[in-house]
Amino acid sequence: MNHRNRHILASLLLPVFAVSLCAQSAKPTSTPKRDVQIPIQQYTLKNGLRVVLSEDHSAPTYSICVAYDVGSRDEKPGRTGFAHLFEHMMFQGSQNVGKGEHFILIQNNGGEMNGTTNQDRTIYFETLPSNQLDLALYLEADRMSSLAVTQANLDNQRNAVQEERRLRVDNQPYGKTFEVVYDAAYDNFNYKHSTIGSMDDLNAASLDDVKAFFKTYYAPNNAVLALVGDFKSEDALAKIKKYFEDIPSQPPPPRPDMTEPPQTAERRKTIEDNFAQLARLDINYKIPSYDSPDYMPLNVAMSILGSGQSSRLYQKLVKEAQLATAVFANAGARRATGLAAVVALPRPDAKPEDVEKIVYAEIAKLQAEPVADWELEKVRMRYRHDHAEQMSSTRFRAVQLAYYTVAWNDPNVVNTEESRLDAVTKDDILRVAKKYLTPENRTVITTLPKSAKAAGGGAVN
Amino acid sequence: MKKTSFCKLSLHVVLAASCLSAVASLALAQAPGDSKAVSASKVERKNLAPVSKEILKVKLPRPYETTLPNGLTVLILEDHRFPLVNVDFTFQGAGALWEPAGQHGLATVTAEMLREGTPTRNSKAINEEIDRLGASFFASAGFGDEDAGAEASGLADNLDAWFPLTLDLILNANFPADELANLKQRLKAQLIQQRQQPSFLASEQFSKAVYGSHPAATIAATPESIDSLTPEKLAQWHTARYAPQTTLLGIAGDVNPQELIGKLKTWTAAWQKTSFTPPATPPTSVVKKRRVFVVDRPNSVQSTLAMGNIAINRTSPDYPSMVVMNQVLGDGPAARLFLNLREAKGYTYGVYSRFTALQYAGPFRAGGDARTQVTEGAMTEFWNEFHRIREEKVPDSELDDARHAVVASFALSLESSSELLNLAEERKLYGFPADYWDTYPAQISAITADDVQRVARKYVDLDNMQVVAVGDAKTIVPILEKYGAVQLFDLQGKPKDLAPVEKKNP
Repeated sequence: MNHRNRHILASLLLPVFAVSLCAQSAKPTSTPKRDVQIPIQQYTLKNGLRVVLSEDHSAPTYSICVAYDVGSRDEKPGRTGFAHLFEHMMFQGSQNVGKGEHFILIQNNGGEMNGTTNQDRTIYFETLPSNQLDLALYLEADRMSSLAVTQANLDNQRNAVQEERRLRVDNQPYGKTFEVVYDAAYDNFNYKHSTIGSMDDLNAASLDDVKAFFKTYYAPNNAVLALVGDFKSEDALAKIKKYFEDIPSQPPPPRPDMTEPPQTAERRKTIEDNFAQLARLDINYKIPSYDSPDYMPLNVAMSILGSGQSSRLYQKLVKEAQLATAVFANAGARRATGLAAVVALPRPDAKPEDVEKIVYAEIAKLQAEPVADWELEKVRMRYRHDHAEQMSSTRFRAVQLAYYTVAWNDPNVVNTEESRLDAVTKDDILRVAKKYLTPENRTVITTLPKSAKAAGGGAVN
Repeated sequence: MKKTSFCKLSLHVVLAASCLSAVASLALAQAPGDSKAVSASKVERKNLAPVSKEILKVKLPRPYETTLPNGLTVLILEDHRFPLVNVDFTFQGAGALWEPAGQHGLATVTAEMLREGTPTRNSKAINEEIDRLGASFFASAGFGDEDAGAEASGLADNLDAWFPLTLDLILNANFPADELANLKQRLKAQLIQQRQQPSFLASEQFSKAVYGSHPAATIAATPESIDSLTPEKLAQWHTARYAPQTTLLGIAGDVNPQELIGKLKTWTAAWQKTSFTPPATPPTSVVKKRRVFVVDRPNSVQSTLAMGNIAINRTSPDYPSMVVMNQVLGDGPAARLFLNLREAKGYTYGVYSRFTALQYAGPFRAGGDARTQVTEGAMTEFWNEFHRIREEKVPDSELDDARHAVVASFALSLESSSELLNLAEERKLYGFPADYWDTYPAQISAITADDVQRVARKYVDLDNMQVVAVGDAKTIVPILEKYGAVQLFDLQGKPKDLAPVEKKNP
């Protein structure tokens, strides 16, 4: 069995220039471990746009990601869902690009694209054959500089977004559970409401809101452009300057107050679901943000608890006690207070409260006894595998580089995260399990099938 | 190769809302722009963005190919960009298509049970070992598939540990009775869970409608058929159908082919050739009558629509024409269906079309989800687009765009060695020549507007369309009745009396 050799990378550090895409481990063994390192160059344009370049000529493609430092956490009461609705408006045309033309230009030139919004950021990305480098740069620059909005297009995309809400939330089993979880767990409005937003708030959004939001948040100094793939950095930088540098900067946008008051007692709620035929249990603990020293130990702890078929909860609940058909745990990586979640689907004949007891018993073990060596080993190995797989896509690389720069002003997180994970000790896990996975810090939501009596009534709230 | 979705049940809450995604009520009727005052929201092309007219010429790497003494066919794509190896087994003739009547689930459960025990490892040990090695293993045998499949992946530096483990599962699975009993309970719960999903209900009716008595009509087991499975039946199926001479093993990643072949010979030495040959796939046939099926899903706020009919198999000469026709009509956000029903009308988050071409002819299928109160408008626009692609020649510029899109997108597949492997496997499984993907762009570029119209008229067949809608029956049955006599079903897929929903809407 080959021995892992984990500190090599951390010492290779790569502030700006990096080596090859895949650096060879220094210690020679018969089957040497290779670490995945992403080369990074950083620039800031005169207007404040931060640029991250990562050359890779192994395929004739490139990906761009433009990340804006705005998400649903920046929304105001009465305008939930607006950051995401706005994201849709970015495909509705700008000075030199017609409504829907973005889709057409990317697809017809063999590319892929999308935009996504979450609590912490909004991102736009395209992947194209490398001979179309100008195309995506032009499209992104044009909408950053001159978004063109009309009432008709706003109404059209409001409809599309409301259909998206119906598709993902209102017409799905357990579709509303996550909204109830956030609403119950958080006190601060910024994370308390959902990114998709309410139908009423979506209806209230106006053209003036769109224009003001654009001016406030979609300025170059509030954005990061990451470009990954088959180009020469010097050429790419020249093109980026040509397309983006004249876009005027704006005053820095207001930053939301993300303070979350400490929770002092367990929160618990049971809801009924129109479509679910079986119960679901969601147990969430408030945890610190991704950059906290406690985050990575929590990530490892939750992974050992409930990630994969060898995890403690899967073995206990699904295999031994046979009370659940599925169980899953993770630690959400957020810019501010996150949630560590355990989600379980009790079997049709099992009681959610019996499932809950076993979850707490397993958490108590995490707090009382050190985890096993092999459990730490598997989390690290799984990370190496997943990371290498993700990094093989230029799009994933671009998205990570752009997001880490927006969130932490540091694209190198993509290269340093592994050493952070590897540094987690058994004592760290004991400590964070005791500190955060406590009854008074948890929110428990039980989703039940709608009772026969109430069937035909209104929607679940 | 073609395998069913990994994601049986999504526990992961979707936090991110995105601009578009997969194929697709009453809630808030006040949404602006709903019916009246639809000022124009029109797609517009300004043609000002800089575009290179050239298509980047790419040549897909050809895999190293060999057949081992036991008959196992091996394809290896060497790719040293990342320290990873992906492994993909296709067990021809071991898919759910061949399950005996009353034993639906046999192929799927056999595949799922591979990781539940071998003579030297129990389920727990297997799970721990896979995870400790940072590897993954997933086996499946989807409904409608001719073949079963197993995928494994892991890091290159401990390949010698996880690859033999993978082979132990595939070759020596012994189907422990207690693990099977446990899995049966989970599967029966999943049968309940999948009926919660409108997409499942639509696919169930659609497959029944287009395939009729063909075995691909079945897309799920039943509690009874799951109960009928025994360790002996699984072992028998496994022994008979997981044979080396009918298995294609594709490997992509950071390996040396010569070296790996040597190891594979040792690792698979005990896997003996048998006399099994994959059976000939029974043919499908086009349904010669338009039919309409509605599944009543109380409280639904959207109608989930699916419509189509049997079209072509993978080796049909019409394949390239269908690719281009479908690109124009419904493949992606730049296609007609999306630009009309979403970008112009605002009826949906996304509508798409696709076609399934296997050894047997599968269906062309168009559909998506639209809020209940615009079901009528959505159906009208689907029909308009079907009519238009059949009756009007595709304009030159649109045809150029569609052909260009298909050919240019090949460059993107070069990023992913597992995608390249899938292309190589597809070529091998359908018996295409070694230069198939080299000549494919020219085949696509040669498609004419007449070709597109010809296949549209043949396969987007309005007279014989099979139409499925899942949603609020009392509202949508009167709308769907305009397309033909409605057959109504409940959530369990059982026929339901139509009278009560018709009475309310005379």
